[in-house]
Amino acid sequence: MSNAKTTTILVVDDSRVSRLLSRQFILHNHPDWIIEEAVTGEEAVTKLSSISPDLILLDVNMPGMGGLAAVVKLREISPEIPICLMTANVQDATREKAHNLGVQFAEKPITQARIDHVIAQLENA
Amino acid sequence: MFQLDELQHDALVELFNQGVGQAAAAMSQIVHEEVTMSVPLITFQSRAEVAQELGGPEARRICAVTQTYQGAFNTEAMLMFPEEKSLEIVRLMVGQSVTMEELSEMEQEAMSEIGNIILNSCMSTLANIAGKELHGSLPIYRIGTSDQILGSSDNQWSGMVLTLKIDFNIEKHEINGYVAFLLDTTALHDLQAYLQQYLSGLMP
Repeated sequence: MSNAKTTTILVVDDSRVSRLLSRQFILHNHPDWIIEEAVTGEEAVTKLSSISPDLILLDVNMPGMGGLAAVVKLREISPEIPICLMTANVQDATREKAHNLGVQFAEKPITQARIDHVIAQLENA
Repeated sequence: MFQLDELQHDALVELFNQGVGQAAAAMSQIVHEEVTMSVPLITFQSRAEVAQELGGPEARRICAVTQTYQGAFNTEAMLMFPEEKSLEIVRLMVGQSVTMEELSEMEQEAMSEIGNIILNSCMSTLANIAGKELHGSLPIYRIGTSDQILGSSDNQWSGMVLTLKIDFNIEKHEINGYVAFLLDTTALHDLQAYLQQYLSGLMP
């Protein structure tokens, strides 16, 4: 992760409360970071034409393009951006799909510890 | 009449026990309090009887989040709270940083997300134990009497349903709710096959 510019995180979730919690927990330890939000996978794809986030936190179960389909589209546009799926669907099958797509996987509910863990993995990459 | 044998019945309770155990852990992380859950109570009733039992004699209003799951077996999963506790639960989730007005605005979305997390947590455990995938719908949030909620479900189930009812309790805040899983007759036979497969895997 570059220190030359302010870190930007794109939070993609149809749930406003999940976006709010992600924002709160990220800013708690990184108050100067920029949080961008998208409500759907489609909106996230569109946003990538105007922003270049350092990390994308992506919900799986969303109306329209779900998180797994969104990963494929987002990768086509910006293959280098790390993506972490955030989901309550902790089935082995979903973990395997995330693994096969080469993205991180974090369980919901969103907690400070989980957000910190995802960011630590990003910083250590 | 559909019947589970004793071993299948035990397996069903045990599997859902593990599922709701995970759900309780998830709920506890959401509300930052200890959450206790009862052993699943299995009943075989009509939807009307289920509604009557869930609503109690005073037919109290409840808020419910429902999701349908398809795969190894099909089920309608429901998370229900007394209507008046809904805002308190959302407040426990988001903390004190949002205003009361914002809290009211996001109540429906927040409850849907809570339901999504709790129900998925439980169903994912069931899927993982049996090595089967279950596909869940998006959560739907409803407020009304249990009659209205069960009657308004978008499904074709009119016959008897198997219900697994689990009470849970956030003691410090005196919040009681319940999770129920409804399975129709066709789904029951799939469930029986799922249980049999699970039990076969346990046998030497």
